Amino acid sequence: MPNSRENLLPAVDPAYCKGCARCIDACLHNCIEMGNEINPLTGLTPVILHLEDCTHCGLCVTACPEPYGLHMDSITDDYSAVRPETFDGVVKTRPKAASIPSTKIPINPGKPILIKGTYASSIGAVLAGCRHFYGYPITPSTEGAELMAKLLPNLDGIFIQAVSEVAAINMLYGTGGAGLPCMTFTSSPGFSLMLEGISYMIGSEVPSVIVNIMRGGPGLGNIAPEQSDLKLVCHGLGHGNTQCVVLAPATPQEMLDLTMLAFELTFKYRNPVIIIGDGYLGQITGKVSLPDYMIQPGLPDWAVYGDAGHRGNLIASIDITEPDLEARNIRLNHKYDTMIKAEQRSDSFFCEDAEILLVAMNTPAQMAKGAVQQLRSEGIKVGLFRPITAWPFPVDALSKLIPQIRQIVVVEASNGQLEDEIRLSLSKAGVTQLPPISFVRRFGGILPQTHEIVEKIHALEGVVA
Amino acid sequence: MSAFYNTFERHSHGEGLKGHSTHYCPGCGHGLAHKFLAESIDELGIQDRTIAISPVGCSVFLYYYMDVGNSQAAHGRAPAVAIGHKMANPNSIVVSYQGDGDLASIGLAEIISAAQMGLPISVIFVNNAIYGMTGGQMAPTTLKGMKTMTSPYGRNENMGSPLKMAELIAQMDSPIYVERVALFDSKQRIRAKKAIKKALQIQVENKGFSFVEVLAECPTHLHLSPTEAQDWVKNSMLPVFPLGVKKDVEPTHIFSFEKPSFESGKLLALIGATAEDVPKFANSFPKHIDPLDISLKLAGSGGDGAQTAALLITRTAINEGFDSTHIPSYGPESRGGTSYADVHIAEMEVLSPSAPDPHILIAFNQPSMDKFAPKVRENGIIIGDSTVIHSMPAIDPTVKVVMVPMSAIATELGKIMVKNVVALGALQAATGLFPEQSFLTAIQQGLKDKKELFPLNVEAFHRGMEAALKSEKI
Ligand code: SF4
Ligand code: SF4
Ligand code: SF4
Repeated sequence: MPNSRENLLPAVDPAYCKGCARCIDACLHNCIEMGNEINPLTGLTPVILHLEDCTHCGLCVTACPEPYGLHMDSITDDYSAVRPETFDGVVKTRPKAASIPSTKIPINPGKPILIKGTYASSIGAVLAGCRHFYGYPITPSTEGAELMAKLLPNLDGIFIQAVSEVAAINMLYGTGGAGLPCMTFTSSPGFSLMLEGISYMIGSEVPSVIVNIMRGGPGLGNIAPEQSDLKLVCHGLGHGNTQCVVLAPATPQEMLDLTMLAFELTFKYRNPVIIIGDGYLGQITGKVSLPDYMIQPGLPDWAVYGDAGHRGNLIASIDITEPDLEARNIRLNHKYDTMIKAEQRSDSFFCEDAEILLVAMNTPAQMAKGAVQQLRSEGIKVGLFRPITAWPFPVDALSKLIPQIRQIVVVEASNGQLEDEIRLSLSKAGVTQLPPISFVRRFGGILPQTHEIVEKIHALEGVVA
Repeated sequence: MSAFYNTFERHSHGEGLKGHSTHYCPGCGHGLAHKFLAESIDELGIQDRTIAISPVGCSVFLYYYMDVGNSQAAHGRAPAVAIGHKMANPNSIVVSYQGDGDLASIGLAEIISAAQMGLPISVIFVNNAIYGMTGGQMAPTTLKGMKTMTSPYGRNENMGSPLKMAELIAQMDSPIYVERVALFDSKQRIRAKKAIKKALQIQVENKGFSFVEVLAECPTHLHLSPTEAQDWVKNSMLPVFPLGVKKDVEPTHIFSFEKPSFESGKLLALIGATAEDVPKFANSFPKHIDPLDISLKLAGSGGDGAQTAALLITRTAINEGFDSTHIPSYGPESRGGTSYADVHIAEMEVLSPSAPDPHILIAFNQPSMDKFAPKVRENGIIIGDSTVIHSMPAIDPTVKVVMVPMSAIATELGKIMVKNVVALGALQAATGLFPEQSFLTAIQQGLKDKKELFPLNVEAFHRGMEAALKSEKI
């Protein structure tokens, strides 16, 4: 109904007036006064309008902080008839966006290329459809970011060097929340700074890939390789009940392959995926075969993308009432359970008849492989079990091996964090008959070396070298 | 008309009055800032494109009300989240809505860097001089002498002065529009609305970063009636936070963003993928050095080219169809000091990539020789630069030492940088690791866009070979 200003008058449903009196001060004609009755629905005292001298100026409406408070209306005598639902006329409906799936584009992979670990991960990311990178320089992960800075502008993608890791992770929250694949590279101290953001991402179900090239700690530590963020990535992803799939590559090839997998999983679960490498793995140059496809990402229906179809969407992790937040946690926990069932990955090296089992991840697993090779040549039945997912820990595969094993040796560049994962997951899986667990541990940026592992086994086996 | 939801379904599931009223206290300035934002969005016809970033603070529930795309950010991080959204879809109109604790305290780094980055986002900063949500604590914008829960005796000298964000942002180069407005009377409200609309309009036109500071009332924590709170803002805040346009300039350029490319040919070219066959020259794995896995260490000072030489060996091995890895020493020690590289070559797969006891050592200077030569394993080979290395540490008696005047040869050739290629020639002649042609092919590949340097490199390589064959003893 077309209304000229003259036949409109201010009106307010008393239930939607908070009695703030801003409108009273705004009216130059004293048309509004404070009421004298408390509204039983709100416990507040709404204003009373006397519109005899009203000039239809609308200043009172501009003064009202309530969206459905004071407004100009043609109805003047029956407040109760003014239902907020009718303010904007008919309720606006609009089509909801449908999810656009990503597409696989076949490519000719050509010959293997020779690249360093961080580069392999960057290349995996662009092949997986990532065109948005946010990061903060930190050794030994920076080369990955530098390659992205070179590649992305040529692909009309976005590379932003953020003011800090805190800003970087929150930029990922924005782009991931908009439904697009995005990533960052960081290293241990930077990863610590990102934990708040990671917790928000998990709570809000925002996908993103975070590569942590772990270095020596605690504190500033040094820039040499360590694996001491394992407890963080498995059990300490910020506050709250949080888990992410954590992938642990061991070679440049896996840096590429697992980065591509990470992008798939992060959208599959609407949950960030963490890739952990060690400083060595970031820096090592090796042979990498490209896949025979690349990904053009789609756009999920839940994205906050900034168009009509996605307008009603919300990315948030806040649930002010306890039952709502409990429901969110139950949903997330259910998702974690699905990951535990579906995403355990591991690799076995000479495990079929192994009696001694080395367990190691990342570069230390390569050192352990070297040891297995040497010890096998001496006739010692040793094998290597290598978790590829640090979380979920591949306990199903490990449990199967346990009965044949008489000695476990955990090889790690940390103070037993991998051993804790092994013990915890076996215990949860109900495997209580454990062989003795021994270890080779180095810290401070020193990785366990092949000869140290060999010596350890020799000592355990009573072999005189 | 405005961009508010018809019913606030997210406010206590839209039940009862909550479906149509805000959670704000009576007279709170947030309601007005919301209203002016909602009206501006509607008037500019950008409701579908708008994404509102809710902060942490009393306005955390902005998303209850705005019928736009909504994203709720961690405390202080809204500008970073806004940038993430804007870059994902440059056609979206992104509004970072923040209070004083969020923007001027915990989120200072994010707002300052976002402003200086200057990307087209719009920031609405609601300054009511106090923390609302947490219950009336001191804000960075709290006035001097003002009593709050955490400045119970008044904000004193030890607590600093109120932070003037609009002025701070305006003096930066990149923002193009900064204004401070208020809500305490009709004139201010009309100005506030205009400013918010302008901030959005600037983004619609891809002009850049805009910032509107809104002086707002928090009657609850000022312990004043809403009317008194309006007077307080006018009389007490205004002298500290003067109103007005702080910056309004034409942008130096209009932002435009292309759609990301997913053209496979372009991508493959960029990452250096090639389908070209590289010729092989070796008949078999150099088993005379080790049947399975050969390790090398190359060590020198920063400019010696140890890393490049190491990479060339790795490339040579991979061209020949073997596995190979290279790990550099990195970080501070690689800037200046010693630089060393571990290389492995394996017939099948490199297992352990480090080389604590290499088969072969190439030492470019005396410290490297002293440090690593004793670690070379039995029957190993050491190749050293005799121009600069004049003594040998104690080494395994079975280890062969080949000394070549690498620096002298390179200097003679007019380019000291080819010292490492001289070393590779010596390596070839002394070890027979791979045929000469294998190395030269890898060197040629490595030179990519500096092909004119190839003949010089070939010569350096040959000189290295010759010199190794008539190795000088030290
Ligand atoms: S429209 Fe103008 S004159 Fe009428 S009540 Fe409101 S402020 Fe007063
Ligand atoms: S401004 Fe709105 S909420 Fe405040 S008293 Fe007037 S009608 Fe009521
Ligand atoms: S506490 Fe202050 S800022 Fe928060 S809603 Fe109430 S009046 Fe507004």
